[in-house]
Amino acid sequence: MTQQPQIELVSVNKHYGGFHALKDISVTIAKGSFVALVGPSGCGKSTLLRSLAGLESITTGEIRITGETVNETPPRHRDVAMVFQSYALYPHMTVRENMSYSLRLKRVPKTKIDAAVAEAAKILGLEDYLDRKPNALSGGQRQRVAMGRAIIRNPKVFLFDEPLSNLDASLRVHMRKEIRALHERVGATSVYVTHDQIEAMTMADHVVVLKGGSVEQQGTPLSLYDMPATKFVAGFIGSPAMNFVSGEITGDGGSVLLDLPGRPILPLARQATPGRKVEAGLRPEHLSLAPPGVPAIETRASSVESTGSVTYLYCGGDPEIIVLSQEREPLSSGEPVRLTIAPENIHLFDPQTGLSIGQAAG
Amino acid sequence: MMKRLYSAVVDGKGFDILLVGLPLLFLITFSGLPLLYNVLMSFQEVDIFSLGSLIRPFVGLDNYRALLAQPEFWPIMWNTVIFVVCSIFGQFTLGFALALFFDAGFRGASFLRGLFLVSWVMPGLVVGAIWNWILSGDFGVLNYILRATGLISENIFWRSDTDFSLWAVIIANIWLGTAFNMILLSVGLAGIPKDLYEASELDGANVWQRFLTITIPMMRSTIGAVISLGLIFTLQQFDLFAAITSGGPANSSNVAQYWAWELSFRQYDFAKGATISTIMIITVMIAALLYVRSTRHEVRG
Repeated sequence: MTQQPQIELVSVNKHYGGFHALKDISVTIAKGSFVALVGPSGCGKSTLLRSLAGLESITTGEIRITGETVNETPPRHRDVAMVFQSYALYPHMTVRENMSYSLRLKRVPKTKIDAAVAEAAKILGLEDYLDRKPNALSGGQRQRVAMGRAIIRNPKVFLFDEPLSNLDASLRVHMRKEIRALHERVGATSVYVTHDQIEAMTMADHVVVLKGGSVEQQGTPLSLYDMPATKFVAGFIGSPAMNFVSGEITGDGGSVLLDLPGRPILPLARQATPGRKVEAGLRPEHLSLAPPGVPAIETRASSVESTGSVTYLYCGGDPEIIVLSQEREPLSSGEPVRLTIAPENIHLFDPQTGLSIGQAAG
Repeated sequence: MMKRLYSAVVDGKGFDILLVGLPLLFLITFSGLPLLYNVLMSFQEVDIFSLGSLIRPFVGLDNYRALLAQPEFWPIMWNTVIFVVCSIFGQFTLGFALALFFDAGFRGASFLRGLFLVSWVMPGLVVGAIWNWILSGDFGVLNYILRATGLISENIFWRSDTDFSLWAVIIANIWLGTAFNMILLSVGLAGIPKDLYEASELDGANVWQRFLTITIPMMRSTIGAVISLGLIFTLQQFDLFAAITSGGPANSSNVAQYWAWELSFRQYDFAKGATISTIMIITVMIAALLYVRSTRHEVRG
């Protein structure tokens, strides 16, 4: 039995006056999956989420939730719940009233409401705070109340609008796991907007990378990492970011000549058009110090930072190349280094279009 | 000595005391002392010859008793209540409706909202003069409109009919105060985060439910402040009575504040005038207390 997708976006476009905010976006979201919309600020990810919620209207295209077109459906009839970046808790209501708000509006019997609140509070560890007002809660607790308000409704879809961006770093990592655990427990379809690629990579089953209002690439987190379709995705996914060096394919089509001091030539895993100008993408974690006799990038370490578990080497200057090594490299600043990379790990992009040339890992 | 005083003002605590002291001195001189003098007068026997002296025969509550015994006392107090309640109700309802209307944020909303303030910045006597024309029995535009729409069959003599004279002033006062209510309520509305409305919309609330469960509770302190201020301003409203009805005919539109002036400066019965003023001071103090309390309970997320 083929399962009907929970959410379908078909060629969604949105114009704000002359500004084209969403450009022909098509995304299909399976029931029960966790989808991340990720991109830099202004890429349209929040607009897309708000269009799903019904808080924004779309200009053309179609939004379907469980097969039903909801373009004209007001938010309160879409059966979606949203966790806002600001949490948007009702400041004049206690935690209990905040969570039960939607059920009270539906005139659910009081005993059922109490049971639902108790259950949600238990899942989220809020039992002791039910009679407090939001301004007497910490950031993490407010975040939980916002989620409690969503799960108590048992909606078709959960929408998260950068829910962790107001928390400090350690709490963010913690809440990331909690949201993911909650998703596995509740099993509802979730759409999660973030500008943080790590959140997207660690939490989602399916990542949609947006840039300038259009979908740059979508797929599983690892497929985006392994096979970025564009230079933008390659640079956006992964931390520290991928190094980009301009260069040219050699005459035999089997190597790339890099635009670096010493004109290093690195072998490729497959054939490319001889003489073609390219941007080579080298992930910091794929670069390593070269043993003697191997074709390598000859440069100098400008600074060495060790966190104990990993070592960051900053090499050269124009462009700077970052190397991430699992070893404790016995290097100091200013020392010459030779860097190498496995041929299959070199990504090539067209300098004009930014599109990937072939697939590196393919 | 002078030098020490000077340096204390320039760099010490003296400057702080100076900053607090100047306005305090001003308030005591021009508000505090007259207020106390007024209360004192309400317990004294005052006539035109003893007007210049501070120490006059003490008569206890005689002035209060005499005032209560006057046949027009209760009708005038009742008029004051009607005037205050109806003015505040009208100003608040219209002001809130307009504030909600302009909060929709259509093109030109803030400009139009600003224009509404014109009615508020106008002096009460000017407003009174304008309303005299509008309310005029023979050729007033209000009568014309009411006749044209078939609501009345013959002209209402708003200012000289004892059934309508108080309402003439109330209508003018509502017109005068609506803009002020609207501005304060607009500020309150603007302070409600938009995402609360979005969250409640997603939670299933319709427009009316959003108004009742978000707007009204979030506006509680603003509403309290607006109504308290409205009470204070309405009890101070004097110009409109002077300009439109002069409290008449036959005290049908007379209210406490206008009566106090009449007793003091028309009948030269300063003691009774002061007595009414003292009763009003107590009322306004209670309103002010409510106002201060309501601003203290600000709820913000």
